[in-house]
Amino acid sequence: MEIYLPVAEMSVNWLIIIALGTGVGFLSGLFGVGGGFLMTPLLVFAGIPSTVAVATTLSHVTASSMSGALAQWRKRAIDFTLAGVMLVGGVAGTIFGVWLFALMRRQGQMDLIVSLTYVIMLGSIGFIMLRESLASLKAYRSGRAVSHHAVNRGWILGLPFKMRFRQSRLYISVIPPIGIGFVVGTLSAIMGIGGGFIIVPAMIYLLRMPTRMVMGTSLVQIIAVTSITTVLQATHNFAVDIILAGLLVSGGVVGAQLGVRAGAKLRGEQLRFLLALLVLTVGAGLAWQLVARPADIYSLAEAAP
Amino acid sequence: MKRRAPLLAFLFLAMPLPCPAWAEDLVSGVSQDTIQITSNYTGTDIVVFGAIERPQSTQGRNIVVVVRGPDQTMTVRRRNRIAGIWINNDAARFEGMPAYYYLASTEPTARIAPPDALARYGIGLQALRPSATGSHHDPEPFRQAAIRHQQRSGLYAESPGSIDFLSETLFRTRVPVPAGATRGQYNVEVYLFRDGEVVSAQSTPFFVDATGLERRLFNMAHNVPLTYGLACVAMAMMLGWISAVLFRRPD
Repeated sequence: MEIYLPVAEMSVNWLIIIALGTGVGFLSGLFGVGGGFLMTPLLVFAGIPSTVAVATTLSHVTASSMSGALAQWRKRAIDFTLAGVMLVGGVAGTIFGVWLFALMRRQGQMDLIVSLTYVIMLGSIGFIMLRESLASLKAYRSGRAVSHHAVNRGWILGLPFKMRFRQSRLYISVIPPIGIGFVVGTLSAIMGIGGGFIIVPAMIYLLRMPTRMVMGTSLVQIIAVTSITTVLQATHNFAVDIILAGLLVSGGVVGAQLGVRAGAKLRGEQLRFLLALLVLTVGAGLAWQLVARPADIYSLAEAAP
Repeated sequence: MKRRAPLLAFLFLAMPLPCPAWAEDLVSGVSQDTIQITSNYTGTDIVVFGAIERPQSTQGRNIVVVVRGPDQTMTVRRRNRIAGIWINNDAARFEGMPAYYYLASTEPTARIAPPDALARYGIGLQALRPSATGSHHDPEPFRQAAIRHQQRSGLYAESPGSIDFLSETLFRTRVPVPAGATRGQYNVEVYLFRDGEVVSAQSTPFFVDATGLERRLFNMAHNVPLTYGLACVAMAMMLGWISAVLFRRPD
């Protein structure tokens, strides 16, 4: 059951890797996120070198998102105009992120910055989502209309360069979508994620997109950003393992399809509540690693020969 | 195993060479000169074997086998607790440390020879010295950490007492080469010690190399990274698309 990974230069049990891909793929289909924020830490835990884990997870995210996006596309639940506008910021963010990645590596603090970014991002977004989804669930039970006062959007409505996004029934400035795209592109390069756990809440709470459109539209954005980042990682760090990617993807695409179906049975608030719990759990795990005394305070990094 | 016959023939041929009558001598070989990394490679053993010529008493005689992988540069970082968080704030760089080191001996090395003799021949993990060191502090704890980490991943090991004698003069030992072993040239050094002094030594190389698909993928990733990256993206998109089609339900 062992298979040799030519770029990671190690052998792994391929059944475990496929199972990992399927599990994470299921969650990505369920929530409309790429699953990179789960996959990268899990692969590192399985013994894959972190550079390879970060770079190869992106392929898994691309495939899961592709599979999920096609399912959403058939439901006409993608706003390509909005995705296109976001991608303008996404491409710029990816290039900036790769530059920042190189800078942090020279400083020797990449691991710390990555972990801190993960903890801050997952913690704050998880908390906001949890609070909002609990309020929505409570309102739903008591039969009241759902009120949206979680984020003050006054300043967003006042921004210039307004554009009409018909499918999402929005008339908003292009600055917030481009900004979201830029932030996500940057984080994609640094953290090896698609950024769904940032895009999805940002679309829901900042742009006030209908939840139905959020899934498909965010997936299109994620496919584009992870594809660009994979190519940049392959050319700059030689860290993409195509065998590992193939295994993860094979499991991931099946899991994503099952997840999309499971997601159709749940309501938006319930999905957001579960996603919030998941995000907070991963965030808490990573925070614990930062604070807990490591088993060995020395770590070994093999420099390029 | 098919290499056995010529090597044994070589052993017999080598024996009658003229040599001072008092000198013990050593002939050794390895079971394979190449380890091929294939898709189901999970590590393998190579057998190092040899014979002692003009043997004298087995008392005070010891064999040490050292296998060294290709040299590499290692960076060891140390974390310290700053504001409650463990942060890498110290590092040391070692050049010329072997990627793989294995030692087999008839007895624990401390009983075979004095420390300075062991250090001279680079015998034992404690004798591993980098060719260059970059550090602001005492590099010793960092060197110890590097050795500890390599031991944990099975790339450094000492195995005293693991040499089998098939007769008074013929010996062999198994050297495990784990899946994480780097590609490149490995050197097998066999030392014959007599009362704490090396009386004979022999060095034989072998190679660890990828073959077939693994080699092509590795080369592609390094030689044409743009094509390789695009291929990865294309594969991911194709598989995603195929699965979406396969799982399509009429709804």
